[in-house]
Amino acid sequence: MAKGSADRAAAGPWRLALRRLGHNRVALAFLALFVLIVVFVLAAPLWANDVAHTGPNETHTLEKINVNGEQRDVVDPSGKPIGPVWFGAGGKFFLGADSRLGRDEMVRLMYGGRTSLMISIAAALITTLLATVFGLLAAYYRGWVDPVISRSMDVLWAFPVLLIAIALGITLAVGGLQLGPIHISGGSLWIPILIIGVVSVPYMARPLRGEALSLREKEFVEAAIAQGAGAGRIMFGELLPNLWSTIIVFSTLNVANNLLLESALSFLGVGVQAPNASWGTMIATGQELITSAPLLTIIPGTMILLTVLSLNVFGDGLRDALDPRSKVRLEARAGVAEPEGTAV
Amino acid sequence: MGLAACGSSEGKEGGTLTGSYASFPDFLDPGLSYTAEGWTAMYDTYTPLLTYRHASGTAGSEVIPGLAKSMPKITDGGKTYTLFLRKGLKYSDGTPIKASDFPFAVERMFKLNSSGTPFYSTIVGAEKFIETKQGPISGIKANDKTGEIRIELEKPRGTFENELGLMFVAPVPKDTPIKNTTADPPPASGPYEIVKVDPGRSWSYARNPEWAKTDGKLMPEIPSGHVNKIEISVIRNDATQVHELESGKTDWMQAAPPPDLYQGVKSKYEGTQFRVEPTVSTYYFWMNMKKPPFNDLKVREAVNYALNTEAMERIYTGQLTATHQILPPAMPGYKKFDLYPYNMAKAKQLIKEANPSDRNITVWGDSEPENGEATQYYQSVLTKLGFNAKLKEINADNYTSIIGSSSTPDLDTGWYDWFEDYPHPNDFFQPLLAGESIQATNNTNFSQTDIPRLNKRLAKLGEETLGPKQEGKYAEVDKEFMEEAPWVPYGTRTESTFVSSAIDLGKVIWNPTFEDDLTSFQFK
Repeated sequence: MAKGSADRAAAGPWRLALRRLGHNRVALAFLALFVLIVVFVLAAPLWANDVAHTGPNETHTLEKINVNGEQRDVVDPSGKPIGPVWFGAGGKFFLGADSRLGRDEMVRLMYGGRTSLMISIAAALITTLLATVFGLLAAYYRGWVDPVISRSMDVLWAFPVLLIAIALGITLAVGGLQLGPIHISGGSLWIPILIIGVVSVPYMARPLRGEALSLREKEFVEAAIAQGAGAGRIMFGELLPNLWSTIIVFSTLNVANNLLLESALSFLGVGVQAPNASWGTMIATGQELITSAPLLTIIPGTMILLTVLSLNVFGDGLRDALDPRSKVRLEARAGVAEPEGTAV
Repeated sequence: MGLAACGSSEGKEGGTLTGSYASFPDFLDPGLSYTAEGWTAMYDTYTPLLTYRHASGTAGSEVIPGLAKSMPKITDGGKTYTLFLRKGLKYSDGTPIKASDFPFAVERMFKLNSSGTPFYSTIVGAEKFIETKQGPISGIKANDKTGEIRIELEKPRGTFENELGLMFVAPVPKDTPIKNTTADPPPASGPYEIVKVDPGRSWSYARNPEWAKTDGKLMPEIPSGHVNKIEISVIRNDATQVHELESGKTDWMQAAPPPDLYQGVKSKYEGTQFRVEPTVSTYYFWMNMKKPPFNDLKVREAVNYALNTEAMERIYTGQLTATHQILPPAMPGYKKFDLYPYNMAKAKQLIKEANPSDRNITVWGDSEPENGEATQYYQSVLTKLGFNAKLKEINADNYTSIIGSSSTPDLDTGWYDWFEDYPHPNDFFQPLLAGESIQATNNTNFSQTDIPRLNKRLAKLGEETLGPKQEGKYAEVDKEFMEEAPWVPYGTRTESTFVSSAIDLGKVIWNPTFEDDLTSFQFK
């Protein structure tokens, strides 16, 4: 046996996956891009306090700033906001003002990114939790439990996601949401988080259920049952560890989907509420000035594009690393030889 | 003297006018609608006993006979109004219009808790009917045989003729349901009937068949209209409305061009397809005087000092002239003053003195572009004053009914605008600031203002016919209300008429109350 082969045989599945990911330069490049975007939005308070000296919602309609020695209106008398001044005013209004309210576009872009990402990630966590539980329950118990859960997912899946989210957003905007003793006000970020988290559950629950169903027939599960393991032990001790790779991949891709859904909801006025910034609300504000100041729409749109792209490409790379058999199946169909190595 | 529409006598008769609105009217129900959008939509569909001349400028504020043969005979010291219905009138479905349809319309309006209720509450028996919803109203007598309608008031009311000209009390058939009929409006008594409604999205008109047969001949002062059909769509994106109009897909847009395009449209089309129209209006923020922190006068004064009306002028891109009082310029009784010139330092001092314990407030606004931004600016001002101000932006279609309902929680402060119903200063005080106007639903006194001494002054002035002496008194009332600061008024607005190149702009009438008159649109 060659030395290399012995090393590969000894390495665990996660290490192998990491190694495969390490060889995928494209995925790593987009991961780096995503990390850069996260660092950018996390730096929002620094930029706001130390460079722009303004908050994301502070208005400057009547103020003037000194741009390269020249006094200029933040919003001119005809209502046109100042365009990008880059570092002409020491970093203030780097990307210009967002509207006739004269808010700093760069500050809002950074804080808006924080909000958009926070909603997307929080919603993805909710989706992951619910989808994992429902998928495991459906796969383990089967019987009447599986059809009930599966059909419920089908019904939710059949509804146009955007329309449900809009209807819920409008309904909850005025009075908020009452969950027993917990009251969530209409303007709370929890409203879009919960809406997006719930409507995305079928997207993840169905593939998890399918995979859990096939794992349930494996010998190690039968062995566990024979040893007297209860339902909880089997679901969370035997099935769940084998689903992690699928969960991780789907969660990553789900964050990207959620970002798009959050942007759409906020654009339509039923996600993040004014005056708070998210990339979606910034596009909505910018589209009113699309002819005179197109950058106000293009910039947040580009941020959404880069973030979703980076998550999708990294997510694909992660899936290839965690389950190369999926790539093998694709290559076999295309007539390419199978590589060595084992799947996780 | 105002001008009626003028232009060349040439022009095409017929055709289909396509128009767009930025939001669906509050109601397409004559008994309920109380917005400019709704009134523009129904001005040529429902004719009250009296109506407003179809003319631009001050001529358009003149009250003339509508379904009634002539102006009312006023007797008994101004307390009794007697009118006669024209004979032979029919609704668009062929049903004869009867004198008894008028008391039915008034009762229906009361039963629906319409925003128009305060205008007619001085009719004898009205208060009891409003409370019990059980009729008939003893102060209205109608004789279907003779067509006589006699209305008795508790006390004289100087604005009652104006109010008889409003659509709230336009006669409707007695089988009209006592509910919001927006989805299926009642048959028409004007030149056009609404034939189809897709609520929230569109509606369309056709010529009222009975108008051509008889009604038009019986009411020659009301124009019959030039186009055969009118189709209105709701296009929420203002820029899209402009582009569709410029490309000829639509002929008219009801709202003004959006701020981004306004100056460009004005410079390109003014005089040919675009015209700036004056309005008698006040844009303001109301403050709920019954709830902390706005139950404290110092807090209300502080907010007035803190709002810079010059910033509002920029937000409205030159379509707003700053004002800081209740009555707008061009309203009889207007006399300029400013009790609260911008002074942030003074505002903060007043807040410090008031030291309100409740600093959590909800700021309400509608979602239309400049109004939404104005509300966000207002919210930022409140934040600067030390309040934890949360903004609730509501779709314009539902905004008025939501803030007008007492069941809506946290109605602390918010945006509104008010355009004259008729050229009388009481129109800005009674529905908006008189204690008797506070209602559980369809309320328009959002600030919950109920100041007994000012209620008495308004009631007394309301009985008198408007003249120079009364105008002087209204100017004093304006100041006295602003000393109580129930609002933060910030400006008066211009609107615009924008039509496609196919329409003769010179013929389009801009009525001071009903805005663009659909009967005046004519293809070149």
